[in-house]
Amino acid sequence: MKNKNQVWIGTADKNNEEEFEQLSKEEFISLPIVEALSDEEVVESTGGNRRDFLKLMGFSLGAATIAAGCETPVRHAIPYVTKPDAIVPGVATYYASSFVNGGDYAAVLVKTREGRPIKIEGNSMSTVTKGGTGAKGQALVLSLYDSNRLKEPAAISANEVQGLSWEDLDKQIRAKLGANDQIRIVTHTEMSPTTKRVFEAFAAKYPNTKVVTYDPISCSALLEANQADFGQAVVPNYHFNKAKVIVSFAADFLGTWISAEEYSVDYVKNRVIKNAESKMSRHIQVESGMSVTGSNADNRILIRPSEMGGAIALLASELGVSTSAPKINDKATQAIKKIARELQANRGNSLVISGSNNLLEQRLVNAINNALGNYGSSITFDRPSYQRQGIDKNIRTLVKEMNAGSVDALLVWNANPAFDIPEADKFKTGAAKVGLKVSFAESLNETAAICDYVAPAHHNLEKWGDVEPKRNSFSIIQPTIAPLYNTRQGEESLLKWAGNSMSYYDFLKKSWEEEIFPMQSEYMTFQAFWDNSVHDGVLDLPSSSTASAYGGAPSGSVKNPSSSELEADFYEMIGMGSGQYANNPWLQEMPDPVMRTVWGNYLAVPIKWDGINRFEGLRGTGSKTVRGIADIVEFSSGSVSDKFSVVPQFGQTPGTVSIGLGYGRTEVGKVGQGIGINVFPCLGIDANGNTEYFATDINVGEVVDYNEEFGCVQYHHTYGVTGEHDGKENMNLDEVALSRLLVDGYQGSLTDRTVLFQDNLANVGDLMEKIKEKRAFANHLNDKTLYPFEEYSEKFYSQGHHWGMHIDMNACFGCAACTVACMAENNIPVVGNKEVSRHHEMTWLRIDRYYYGDAENPNVAYMPMMCQHCDNAPCENVCPVNATNHSSEGLNQMAYNRCIGTRYCANNCPYKVRRFNWLDYTSADLFGVNQNSINGEDPAYYTDNIVRMVLNPDVTVRSRGVIEKCSLCAQRLQQGKLAAKAEGRKLREEDVKTACQTACPTGAITFGDRNDSNGSLSKAIKNPLVYRALEEINVQSSIFYQAKVNNRSEALDA
Amino acid sequence: MTNKSLKFNLLLLFFALFFSANLSAEVSDAVGKQLFKNNCASCHNKDMKSDMTGPALGGVRERWEGREEVLYAWIRNSQAVISEGDEYAVNLFNKWNKSVMTAFPTLTDDEVESLLVYIDCMYDGSCDPKAKALAAAGGGAVGAKAEQTSNTPMYLVLLLILGILAVVMMRIVSNLNYMSQVREGNAPVRRATLTEMLTSRGVIGFVLFALIVLGGYTTINNAIDLNRQQGYAPDQPIKFSHATHAGMQKIDCQYCHDGARRSKHSVIPAANTCMNCHKAIEKGSKYGTAELTKIFASIGYNPDDNTYIKDYESMSNEDISKIYKKWIEDNYKADNAEASDKEIAKAVTEQWDGIVSSLTTDVKESVAGPIPWVRIHNLPDHAYFSHQQHVTVGKVECQTCHGPVEEMDVAYQHAPLSMGWCINCHRKTEVQFVGNEYYESYKKYHEEIKAGTRDKVTVEEIGGLECQKCHY
Repeated sequence: MKNKNQVWIGTADKNNEEEFEQLSKEEFISLPIVEALSDEEVVESTGGNRRDFLKLMGFSLGAATIAAGCETPVRHAIPYVTKPDAIVPGVATYYASSFVNGGDYAAVLVKTREGRPIKIEGNSMSTVTKGGTGAKGQALVLSLYDSNRLKEPAAISANEVQGLSWEDLDKQIRAKLGANDQIRIVTHTEMSPTTKRVFEAFAAKYPNTKVVTYDPISCSALLEANQADFGQAVVPNYHFNKAKVIVSFAADFLGTWISAEEYSVDYVKNRVIKNAESKMSRHIQVESGMSVTGSNADNRILIRPSEMGGAIALLASELGVSTSAPKINDKATQAIKKIARELQANRGNSLVISGSNNLLEQRLVNAINNALGNYGSSITFDRPSYQRQGIDKNIRTLVKEMNAGSVDALLVWNANPAFDIPEADKFKTGAAKVGLKVSFAESLNETAAICDYVAPAHHNLEKWGDVEPKRNSFSIIQPTIAPLYNTRQGEESLLKWAGNSMSYYDFLKKSWEEEIFPMQSEYMTFQAFWDNSVHDGVLDLPSSSTASAYGGAPSGSVKNPSSSELEADFYEMIGMGSGQYANNPWLQEMPDPVMRTVWGNYLAVPIKWDGINRFEGLRGTGSKTVRGIADIVEFSSGSVSDKFSVVPQFGQTPGTVSIGLGYGRTEVGKVGQGIGINVFPCLGIDANGNTEYFATDINVGEVVDYNEEFGCVQYHHTYGVTGEHDGKENMNLDEVALSRLLVDGYQGSLTDRTVLFQDNLANVGDLMEKIKEKRAFANHLNDKTLYPFEEYSEKFYSQGHHWGMHIDMNACFGCAACTVACMAENNIPVVGNKEVSRHHEMTWLRIDRYYYGDAENPNVAYMPMMCQHCDNAPCENVCPVNATNHSSEGLNQMAYNRCIGTRYCANNCPYKVRRFNWLDYTSADLFGVNQNSINGEDPAYYTDNIVRMVLNPDVTVRSRGVIEKCSLCAQRLQQGKLAAKAEGRKLREEDVKTACQTACPTGAITFGDRNDSNGSLSKAIKNPLVYRALEEINVQSSIFYQAKVNNRSEALDA
Repeated sequence: MTNKSLKFNLLLLFFALFFSANLSAEVSDAVGKQLFKNNCASCHNKDMKSDMTGPALGGVRERWEGREEVLYAWIRNSQAVISEGDEYAVNLFNKWNKSVMTAFPTLTDDEVESLLVYIDCMYDGSCDPKAKALAAAGGGAVGAKAEQTSNTPMYLVLLLILGILAVVMMRIVSNLNYMSQVREGNAPVRRATLTEMLTSRGVIGFVLFALIVLGGYTTINNAIDLNRQQGYAPDQPIKFSHATHAGMQKIDCQYCHDGARRSKHSVIPAANTCMNCHKAIEKGSKYGTAELTKIFASIGYNPDDNTYIKDYESMSNEDISKIYKKWIEDNYKADNAEASDKEIAKAVTEQWDGIVSSLTTDVKESVAGPIPWVRIHNLPDHAYFSHQQHVTVGKVECQTCHGPVEEMDVAYQHAPLSMGWCINCHRKTEVQFVGNEYYESYKKYHEEIKAGTRDKVTVEEIGGLECQKCHY
């Protein structure tokens, strides 16, 4: 089953289900609120029916009139007593800082308004992240205002949290710490050189202190392999821009692996198509589940997780490394042999990486790269990464020591071992034998809950600190707000207990003066050096390789593949890490790029094809997906047995299932509590003590139940997708509709809609021709317009600004940083899983995911879709109150206070990008949020006054009953224009950048003025691969897409 | 004002603007005025005759006679001149308690010269009348309002005449009816009386209808005005008089409201801005210590020994009261030599109670801390307004929207701040089009101006009425 022109989004689409066709044409599916109102159960529980509702409405109208008739309340304007120099009320101030959480890192600029951080931007001065941030970095501001954070230090006993003063806490802990106690500091990767000095200072006072570093999503084997082969336990510097062929054995380097933003920036350099002669790298992903990286790969080789060793060993032996390779599936064997030849043809210009956590496998990968001469070109040790430092053996030893009763005190720095290690249960039993347990957690987690004390540390945005993500690349963390609660810098606590009363800021400065200042020669005085480092936020000092020459030759043989019927693959999800981000609703509500699910982890199962035109998930699942209902199956693996909602996943290796890690937190706060299922206990541990991220002893049962509140946005807001008609030719939905017009008088519309253009690099010339023809045809159709577009164009758009946007789908990897950035910038409400399952998600920017090509092993295209700002906008004509209308700058404007909520515009939007506020998600309404209880929900997330501090004061908070949609960041455009006007100069490109654009690490989004003929937008849209979505319906949209081009090798498929 | 003369005025205004904009690269007092306003006015008095935070600037050229270059260097960076040991400079620095003047290294020679020209002309009152005319025209053109005479009495008279006519007609109709019925021979016993006529169904129906229409009209009209606060003049915690500060003392609006030129908010000044002057002026001319002590009590300034009190925020109201009661008492005694102890105690208690009630609110118990001013101008949350856009870019005078603030003892809301009011101004107001490079992207308008087919560009014409200019 292969047809490269076919594009689909899921099984329902593939199966050409009538129901799906019907649903895909409706904007608001089965209006659940109306249903709920007449639902007897709801009527009983809320004690009302339609008549009561009308009565209440009458009363509230009367009440509103009386309330409004009363005197206007006195509002105060509170000025500063002494105004700080750096703050002008109403003007944003930016501070350079860093986002750090374990091994996750981004150099950022923090936008603050009147002292409140409200938005994260990338710091483009960083040589590591290069201005990229990622979804987790974007969501940092919201975690600051998490009302679940600990408000004061506390003693914990038998689940009771007893508040303490810092003096009492210090006194009690110092009394319990004995000078010769066996003390363990357990932490995820700690990238701060100064924090490590604090650990040393603590160890100087308590000599039996050891720091145990581990990573829940571990690169332990990679570090150990480099220790063995190069004498350094570091992650080398990968240069994806120097590789013409990239082979990744399940390393999700565009999504979650080590330093994904950095790798994305390098990787995209060889993926951009400028003209018909452009070259592309070839990226081959060998994996079992469809990862974000795999979805962007040209070729995917499907293997089972237990075949990983065999696959790597096969490639190694094909490249002349002496090792024995056990047999793996035939298709993969054939493909890997061909890959070996392709790699050999690109010696020195290739890159092989692996996400495997098996020491021998990683050493074989080193041997492969060595055989290919990649060291020194695409892999270097001059500036190795410190973003993963955890060695799994250490945590294994710690758990054993604890159970043996030989640990006296445990200080949990930045880790949650009671949740995020496979042997969490053993950790808990061992913890009971430890005399003193102290956690530095910001909010209560599974580990803090079993500790004796919590000494809550400052949030990332409240503290001082430094980071060394790569050797001699430093980054500063500076506070951007005074601590919200009675918390204390973690390092300061440690220093205090070690008898050092120095503030951490002084300690940090001193450490920089002693350690880092002497390494540079640019600044004469330390103060100047320090001020500039804090100002820039980043600092690069020269670094050269200190690694020894490759001394490899690994011995031993890799494991044989398992023979079990089913295997499970456990992976890191893009927004959840190992569960640290579970209490961040922006990340919970950000759809997973591939599965398009929110609020939970799901069981991804392979899809079976019956050979004709019927697709079905494993165990017959997926039949109700289109109606937003997921099948629930029993899943068991080792000690874990639970019921999972199923997502039939294209590209999933047959005989495997995939489950995301980090969900199922039991002690996390009201947002993440009990969301999803914890699969850490399913992970195995290999002979070297390294964690194995797959399981072979699993069982998936038949469908036992249905999940009616399935938070998957896949079938929401679809438009113009293709399907198959009666098993015959491919046709898109409109063609189906048109053909039915003849049969049963069904109203159809235009045929052959333009949604996604994609093709292979080899055919890029043809693709350009095809796009040209299609656009010419579309314009021919559009000549018959009713709109006086030419006149508008001449009158309005020909001068001043005419905004537009260009999105290069070859540079979009679906990482969703833009989605979160948009939520942060535009005060987009969080609605929760139940609302999402009712199609009520509010995200202005969605990333449509399309499959195309081979149904059993498809390629993927990501298409960010937001309001297209049509100059002939269909939504504008149907608004009865003119709440949505057009500006002379080509923006489709939305005046919330005019909107009366008829939703005609959303129904008439061909792209389905308008969102309706079904409930008062932000408590913007005059009479509070109690309306939300109409369906028994908790109060909306944004009703919390602390959380509301994150709202952007320049953007209106929308109330219930109005439509909203992408404004192209109107507030930023106005701000940029004003800056130019005030300085009396022309508008520059840097003045106006949308939130999604600045968040995109790869620069896939270009925004600008179409009237600026020299601007980068005008240049970008001249590319022959550029088209507009649904161009033939003559809406004159302002968003230009550049077709997706892959470099898939047909030879590897054979 | 006739339409013709309005046009003529606007034309004049346009030429004046064009002229002044063209001058911007040259030396002129107009350029100097702008520079002074932006850079100097916060420390130097605009009248050039009296001292403020910095010395009076009038006659500065004479004082630096023959040493023009040093003066220029002094203006750009006074500290550099001092460090070079210039005797006059060092003396001046010492005389002014070593307060450092901000450096302006980017000022060009022409700009410094413009500043000096402006200082001279302000000092001797010979400033370019064109600049003054411009200011007057700018305020006048927008402020000019057509005289509206009320037509209500005329309508009332008309209504009365129509009413009488209606009654007369009704009477006639009823008589005619009666007569025709008499002729047909089936005459009723009597004619309908006036009362019967007025209480007939038709009349009552009509009156009800009219009442509903009128009532609806009034309700809607009043409902539209709900929440509008034109003329709102609340009591403020401190009896601050704009008439004294802006009117009598001629302090520039933007000295205190320093956000207006660079932010969306004009900014209520912080208490430390007040202290710039009130460190020296410790007693008011009208209220003596009663009002000014509130500022001291807010920021923690001890007027007795001219110091800021350490750890002021953590002091209790009782401790604070000791400091300021003493200050009030001493002053009261000095001013009222023959006052009895009782009178003194009464005055002290009254003034202190005033301080406490002014500086505390439901959520702020301590006297120390910010002054809870009452906000007068309240825009709805969904309207975005930027002072910078109007003040810096549009060069709109503060008084255009805020009225004669310099005459207000108690500040009040001058404009209705309704959307219609905004829109009307955007329709009429001309964009500062020529001379601002930003607007060069409006090529068509520039060509039309060149060709003479267009004399001005209004805010409306560059999209100033579009929703998303203010609502997003």
